[in-house]
Amino acid sequence: MEEKYIICEDSLEGIFTAIYDAYALREGHGHIHIQVGEEDNYRLFAAYVHSQPDAVKTDKVLRTVKDRLGEEVYGSLCRAAASYDREKGDAVYHTVVDGITAGSGRRTMENLRNPYVRKTFELARRTANEVHHELEFIRFQELEQGVLYSKIGPENNVMPFVMPHFSDRLSIENFMIHDEKRGIFGVHPAKEEWYLVSDAEGFNPQELRWSRKERQYQELFIFFHKIIAIKERYNSRLQQQMLPLRFQDYMVEFGSNE
Amino acid sequence: MEARILPQMSVMDKLKILADAAKYDVSCSSSGSSRRNDGTGIGNTVAAGLCHSFGADGRCISLLKILFTNECIYDCRYCINRKSNDVPRASFTPDEVCELTMEFYRRNYIEGLFLSSGILYNPDYTMELLCETVHKLRTVHRFQGYIHVKAIPGADPRLIQQTGYLADRMSVNLEMATADGLREMAPNKHRKNILRPMRQIQNGITENKNELTLYRHAPHFCEAGQSTQMVVGALPESDFQIMSVAENLYDKFALKRVYYSAFVNVNEDRELPALSGGPPLLREHRLYQADWLLRFYDFKVDELLTVDRPNFNMAIDPKADWAVRHLEVFPVEINRADYRLLLRVPGIGVKSARRIVAARRFGSLTFEDLKKIGVVLKRALYFITCGGRMMYPTKIEEEYIVRSLTYQNQMGKGERLPFLMDGTTYRQISLFDEEMGVV
Ligand code: SF4
Repeated sequence: MEEKYIICEDSLEGIFTAIYDAYALREGHGHIHIQVGEEDNYRLFAAYVHSQPDAVKTDKVLRTVKDRLGEEVYGSLCRAAASYDREKGDAVYHTVVDGITAGSGRRTMENLRNPYVRKTFELARRTANEVHHELEFIRFQELEQGVLYSKIGPENNVMPFVMPHFSDRLSIENFMIHDEKRGIFGVHPAKEEWYLVSDAEGFNPQELRWSRKERQYQELFIFFHKIIAIKERYNSRLQQQMLPLRFQDYMVEFGSNE
Repeated sequence: MEARILPQMSVMDKLKILADAAKYDVSCSSSGSSRRNDGTGIGNTVAAGLCHSFGADGRCISLLKILFTNECIYDCRYCINRKSNDVPRASFTPDEVCELTMEFYRRNYIEGLFLSSGILYNPDYTMELLCETVHKLRTVHRFQGYIHVKAIPGADPRLIQQTGYLADRMSVNLEMATADGLREMAPNKHRKNILRPMRQIQNGITENKNELTLYRHAPHFCEAGQSTQMVVGALPESDFQIMSVAENLYDKFALKRVYYSAFVNVNEDRELPALSGGPPLLREHRLYQADWLLRFYDFKVDELLTVDRPNFNMAIDPKADWAVRHLEVFPVEINRADYRLLLRVPGIGVKSARRIVAARRFGSLTFEDLKKIGVVLKRALYFITCGGRMMYPTKIEEEYIVRSLTYQNQMGKGERLPFLMDGTTYRQISLFDEEMGVV
């Protein structure tokens, strides 16, 4: 059969809707692929279908996945869908097929012999690792009004995964995390639920004003960071291996705000 | 004792002295507690712990690690703060410690506080200060992040008990593997004064667990358990002695972690090793690898070392070393071997062993699958078969395998060389085998 590509929006909703559409075709799955974003390189002899994100379809897929594959697999799919990798749509789709149609169920992510599952597994792990790193390496700075502000530049879309952590941890704080690569903001008003803002118009980081004490605490920490290392054990290679430069660029102790 | 505390010392000046003095304590772990925020203050804890930065020595920075004071009435030979040293002294106030902790924590610099101390006037007085500080942090500031506090040997058990209800983890450093060693290095410390609070904390934790099964809302006592530390390389103790003590501490005192700290001759004591090659980091690393094998790989110390072979092989890691001396056990068949046996294969870590057991239910595994699963085939190939076949024909002979494995090390492939330079938990994920180089 002719190869068929479903083009969808680069979001969890986009991918889940496309999965719904793929199933709705009732043509089997072997020749169907999901591609996120633009249809960059058209293939000859392939059909292209466009899929528009749809809340109802997304919800149906989401329920089925949670129901039949369980929360854990669902979590992996979400993390894979947040990946920077353009092949994620196809990987997630065929992993769902493996789980539901081929019947791997709750064990789906263990079926590493299936290349799509493996891809999903790898993407999910990569996102999870980055999320973990951001939980560790995000640095907040206090603005004039006492609001905490953090700027990040992650490879994958980690925002939906880091916000719950900080919303619990800093429950009584007003804070905001700014993903400058995607132009999105996670916003947490004190003692309320967090939400996502994707319209960055009118926001200019240059206009932010730090609180009076911010400088002082930054200096204290930079200082602490320096003296806590044991001279006889200096090992900058190890340091860099544990803390990749792309994170260091956003951290006060590595001079991000000097 | 005259406390030489300059009245106008700034927090920065104090931090300089008191963080500098705390850095030889290895533990910076923030793992073992899992607590949600209750909405009245900031903070929570994450079971696996989080590292917030890495210092120039590549060690993880997770906690604000400081001494409350570096005043001390004792005279331990390995310690920069000993009484007989003429070094600048400083003490924090409880409020200063609280403020630093809160402000660092809000900015996500740290996971919490690690509060240790020199002994100011006497053990009780010191323990009271530590207790007062964390009490303030928990009650006035409603801090719910991680707190690790030292129990001061010789302090009133009631003070230690009170502190335990405020802390996630407590620790008492064993310092030296043997009682004689301790006497030599720390004339004012006594082994039994160290073991007593250790036992008290252990009992406290056990009782608390019982309490918690009865009353779900009972306060926690050292939820993250207790740890200790031994200095390595200051005295001629063998690895076998050190590891046997560690095994005992795990078995009999239910410790969560034992840390090993390569000796640094800070006082330039002429009777102690000068260690021109720097601190014995490779040895320290071997001890950590062996420690890992005890805790996650089901090894016993006497499988790894004996009285006649009391020290680890510096050329090859303890797990590979065991494997080449037990070639009769190998090769093992990947599709059949039980989990415990898989764990003994060099190149297979806890994660890959689990994945193998899970994935082979779907059909039999090939070498290609193993690679995808994360098995380090370069190391494993001497010890495994897949479907009855080895990856390729190779000599199964101790000397040959050791040579191949150490060759890989020299190439920086098998054993990741940079990690040789450190022994602490690089990341705190408890099963990060790859990083420990024990796979
Ligand atoms: S008790 Fe010993 S190790 Fe501790 S601060 Fe005093 S001299 Fe140093």
